[in-house]
Amino acid sequence: MKKLAIAVLALALVASGAARADTVLVLNSEEASYSILSRSGRSELGRQPVGREPHHLVVTPDGKEVLIGSTATNELLVLDAKTGERRRVMRDIIDPYHLSFSPNGKWFVTAAYRLDHVDIYRGDDFKLAGRIFIDGMPSHIAFDADSKTVFVTLQQTGRVVAFDLATQAIKWNTKVGEAPAGIVMLPDNKRLLVALTGADGLVVVDPKDGSTIGALQTGKGAHNFFPKGDGRHYFLGNRMEGTISLIDTQDMKVVGTIKVPGGPDCMDITADGKELWVTQRFLRRLAIVDIDQMKVVGSVPVGKSPHGVLMLKPGGAGSPLTPVRATSPAAEQK
Amino acid sequence: MRQLLDIWIGTQTWIFETVVSPILFHLGLMEWYEPAFNAVEIVMLGVVQIVVIAVGMRFFERRWPLERVPNDDLVAVDRVYTFLNKLGIIPLAVFVVTYPISNEIEHMVRAWGYAPPRLERIFPWLHDSALASFLVYFVLYDFAAYWLHRAQHRFGWWWSLHSLHHSQRQVTVWSDDRNHILDDLLMTLALVIFAQFVGVQPDDYIMILMVGRLIESWSHANVDMSFGRIGERLLVGPRFHRLHHALAGPAERHIHDHNFAPVFPIWDILFGTAMFDRKNRPTGVDDPDIDSDNERGWLGQQIAGVGRLLRSLTPRLRRARAL
Repeated sequence: MKKLAIAVLALALVASGAARADTVLVLNSEEASYSILSRSGRSELGRQPVGREPHHLVVTPDGKEVLIGSTATNELLVLDAKTGERRRVMRDIIDPYHLSFSPNGKWFVTAAYRLDHVDIYRGDDFKLAGRIFIDGMPSHIAFDADSKTVFVTLQQTGRVVAFDLATQAIKWNTKVGEAPAGIVMLPDNKRLLVALTGADGLVVVDPKDGSTIGALQTGKGAHNFFPKGDGRHYFLGNRMEGTISLIDTQDMKVVGTIKVPGGPDCMDITADGKELWVTQRFLRRLAIVDIDQMKVVGSVPVGKSPHGVLMLKPGGAGSPLTPVRATSPAAEQK
Repeated sequence: MRQLLDIWIGTQTWIFETVVSPILFHLGLMEWYEPAFNAVEIVMLGVVQIVVIAVGMRFFERRWPLERVPNDDLVAVDRVYTFLNKLGIIPLAVFVVTYPISNEIEHMVRAWGYAPPRLERIFPWLHDSALASFLVYFVLYDFAAYWLHRAQHRFGWWWSLHSLHHSQRQVTVWSDDRNHILDDLLMTLALVIFAQFVGVQPDDYIMILMVGRLIESWSHANVDMSFGRIGERLLVGPRFHRLHHALAGPAERHIHDHNFAPVFPIWDILFGTAMFDRKNRPTGVDDPDIDSDNERGWLGQQIAGVGRLLRSLTPRLRRARAL
């Protein structure tokens, strides 16, 4: 009966424009597939094939397309950001583990986690501007507000490296701590937050020279950020601890903790700002967190090792119509 | 089904978060967080395999033995091999050595612009059936394993290692894992590289190993059974594989140069190495030096294997020096 209800709901959603606003995409990184979920139904509607080992996805600067990076097959699957329909596959994007556009849309950068290089492409035609080989498992990417510098965490060597986007030259390369992963530039453009998966919190890094100017304890295995949408608060998943910390970046303190078991990783927020959806890598599920109550209120089974998650929004994912994107395009923080 | 899966995943997560993850954290190895989680699943599957062998397969051996096993000491060492393998100890050692090599090869190949495609790109219908996809990759994997097995017998230096597997006089369900660690290492490296090139998904790879090794354990069983006239041509069974372990005699000097296929006999049929008969032969090797493995324990056998390898290489080194 429940299955029938889900099927009817899926059909109804697909048949209506509401389907686009209701759709959630989840990348099943060890299954070469992505799940399509109904936000309102809190259920999986189906799975679609994608290249091997998809980890992260990003919305194009115009909000019209979604790019899914498949690391083992060197390709990007391009979806329509409104409908979720498959448009094309872009080949020869080597090992696109983490991927992101600069705020001005001029640059598209990928971190090749397995193959140890950072690729800087022109954002308009995806022509490779530069490939920088650098040891240490390039992991996550962030930009400064004026799109001049890209910052990349090196998970194996415990460092963060800053590249000048125009020249691809290294500006600085400094040690920040054990296994840095998620990285985010705060709206003041003066502080980088770096999550230390090999430690129990984050460090605050000065984007000018890479010096560490602060630290905050959140939980073991701090891994990835997501903005709450008010320009001040950020969520940070602590994978080993099985929690998500809500951080006030103005006072630089933890103002709330949510228990989310199973290695919480990437996140996205519903358009109304009420729910945080979190991939639980180990449990093959998505946890639904009620942000007001600060607790998990639902769970949706998906494929193996779910990683990136993205909600399609009215007007296209990550479009200016989306109310919760005060600081960055939708998936850039993944 | 989902409930069973949740129990399995819950157990895996509990073991990982309670035991493995704190070790990684304290050793500063958190970049291996995800692979280590998958390693826990491999060990859990190994435990399942041991239970299937010890309870299920042993039932048939006890009930319908092909030959009596008067000396259990001969078999005891094979149980050590099985436990070391299935519980992940030898695979971990092999991984530590082979990973940097296979990773370097992958780096090199992908730097040249080659990205291993999935077969699904050529045969899109494979996307629609997980079972069909698994079977296709399984058959490909077995094809590679067949030729590697032939190489183990073809090259003297490799036979010096692989002969340990054949030295067992009492072949039983425990014999499959009886291999020299260097032999394991070479096979793993070759098969991992092959799997990468044809695009086997990590999850499929684990299941191929799980199902394949169970079939191989059964094919070593001390029972006079096969899957029937047609079945034994589709799937390797005890009667088919026992012939590969047969003791060579004056009339059958190359008897073990038959029935190499690990899982699908089609390779032996296609390449002319298949032999189907119902004759029961003793198992083992006719070389006293190799046969003396039966007087040794695990460590002794490993040391003896290295000795044989060095002896097999030395004449070549001498010849190379003379040139």
